[in-house]
Amino acid sequence: MVSTFEEYEAIDMFSEWNPKTQPIINLIDLKKWFPISEQSILFSRVVAQIKAVDGVNLFLNKGETLGLVGESGCGKSTTARVTVKLEEPTEGSIYFKGIDIFQPMTREEELAIKRQLQMVFQDPYSSLNPRRMVLDLIKEPFDIHFPDMTYEEKETRVLEILAKVGLEDYHALRYPHEFSGGQRQRIGIARALAIHPEVILLDEPVSALDVSVQAQILNLLHDLQIEFNLTYMFIAHDLSVIKHVSDRVAVMYLGKIMEMSPTGELFRKTAHPYSVSLLSAIPRPDPRIKMDRIILEGDVPSPVNPPPGCPFHPRCYKVQEICSKVSPPLDELEPGHFVACHFPEI
Amino acid sequence: MKMVKPILDAQDIYTYFYTESGVVEALDGVSFDVYHGEPVGIVGESGCGKTVTAKSTLRILDKNGKTVAGKILYKGVDLLELPDLQMRKIRGKEIAMIFQDPMTSLNPIFKIDDQMTEVIALHRNCSKKEALEYAIEALEQVGIADAASRVKDYPHQFSGGQRQRVLIARALALQPSLLIADEPTTALDVTIQAQILELIKEMQKKHGLAMMLITHNLGVVAETTKRVHIFYGGRVVESGPTEDIFIDPKHPYTRALFDSIPSLEKDKHRLTTIPGLVPRLINPPKGCRFHPRCKFATEICMRERPPDIIIDKQKARRVQCHHFDELDLHVDETTMQERTHVKEEA
Repeated sequence: MVSTFEEYEAIDMFSEWNPKTQPIINLIDLKKWFPISEQSILFSRVVAQIKAVDGVNLFLNKGETLGLVGESGCGKSTTARVTVKLEEPTEGSIYFKGIDIFQPMTREEELAIKRQLQMVFQDPYSSLNPRRMVLDLIKEPFDIHFPDMTYEEKETRVLEILAKVGLEDYHALRYPHEFSGGQRQRIGIARALAIHPEVILLDEPVSALDVSVQAQILNLLHDLQIEFNLTYMFIAHDLSVIKHVSDRVAVMYLGKIMEMSPTGELFRKTAHPYSVSLLSAIPRPDPRIKMDRIILEGDVPSPVNPPPGCPFHPRCYKVQEICSKVSPPLDELEPGHFVACHFPEI
Repeated sequence: MKMVKPILDAQDIYTYFYTESGVVEALDGVSFDVYHGEPVGIVGESGCGKTVTAKSTLRILDKNGKTVAGKILYKGVDLLELPDLQMRKIRGKEIAMIFQDPMTSLNPIFKIDDQMTEVIALHRNCSKKEALEYAIEALEQVGIADAASRVKDYPHQFSGGQRQRVLIARALALQPSLLIADEPTTALDVTIQAQILELIKEMQKKHGLAMMLITHNLGVVAETTKRVHIFYGGRVVESGPTEDIFIDPKHPYTRALFDSIPSLEKDKHRLTTIPGLVPRLINPPKGCRFHPRCKFATEICMRERPPDIIIDKQKARRVQCHHFDELDLHVDETTMQERTHVKEEA
């Protein structure tokens, strides 16, 4: 067993990886389907599949923030959960630093990967065990990854990390219910940050918070990213938050990526009709702005039975016959700007 | 343009909750008004007293809550003095309310027609059969397709957006004069939120409704309302025409609130945060309730409650701040440039 940070650095399983030319995370044709089964007296049989993630292609470069945006049920969280190995994919593969993380590997190698991939969860109220002190909560990652580390060292590291996320020493001996939502989210971040990961997947980290507290957390995440050279995958449904934090944005709809491009480009040269409608749907906090809004008809279809062809075609304002037959591939229209549409706006 | 008398005129209301840990001063001298046919926004963060204001108005506070002082004049009648029987005729018929969560506001074990016709028959003094006709008509108005057969469905057969439509239909079927909408779009996705906001605006105009829109989303307020009341810590800190407040806020809290939201218009800059937390209303701060978080606070702010200062009587602009006339909080291009400048230096 390895027990110190230095020994971890020494594992050379990632020696093939070149951060300049290769993405740190690469999802290829990722699918995650959840079976719905029907129980009869003796047997249960699968009657349908919830196609939560249905062919996602996505990559993250070292040191950047990728914003993943979409409406509820579009598969953002499932994508993140599969990426940190909380779920097995149904199909497709995930490469972390050039290594397929679902290939057979030793426990040591698996821990080495998981140590570098951490996640912050959405709900700061239910993602922390109410029976454990903050000290124990943040110490847990060390217990798993550095079992030989002394208690004193773990404690020092916990206090160090608490200070980094803007909490005080005495907070370590308190229980989660004694904290406000924003402070709890800080604890969640500290937990993810404790073992020096390279990539943090943030699943709606600010959507449960009030605006004034949300700003504090967004600034904290920004500072930590610079200090520790972190790579973020930032999941949110709020496009103004996404625009604020991301270097690149991927728009997701019904388990597929619709558009992926550098942030500025996505907002200036929006190509996919779904992105266009999503952007126009946001209420602007300025009474002087009057805009013509594209209002989409109907609801997001169920992922159990997604529409054939392009999943957006039943609600699309540019729909043609081909859209209901052929699923458009995610093409690179301009360098770095990927769109999955037969009739993009550019 | 404005009629002489407001339809709802709340004067200096104090609502307290008596809990085991002490008295919660949820509303501490709140005054606001709503005129005929006017959409008014009630804005603030969680726990600032927005919902309590609505509940005090309708007298539907939880058992441990009581409005201990003040007047709530509805069409000239003080609702707080009204006998229970009379009050029941006001609720729904005169003042209707839409609640935040469309998932829990409908009873899951009754069909939609039962839940709608009961109220309609009672308030409009008609038979169940007529009531059903009214219900179907109302559902058609809010855009439920095939309303005549959908009324036989249970709530779970509707999507979130459709349930909110049903609730709006139920509220409007009684032809109220005042509609209180408590965070009507918070639980919905952006594209659905755009649909519902459009519907609310359309209904409000069509029926000439006075509306109190309670929300924390500044975008929703800017687009939907003509006038706003900004709440903080159980008090109205500022009120006036929406446009004036968004461009030229007078209260430091209002300005700080605007600065802390990420915006689609501005480029990536560091968010200005409000230090500290929303105050707890058991033992709230003395003097101005915002002073512990206010960068302009002086000694008088800690000592004395700021008076309600009328800045512009014509426009009904009021502010509660000791220093409002010394501060320049104007939102304009230069301050925005300054901010980006600061970011570059850092």
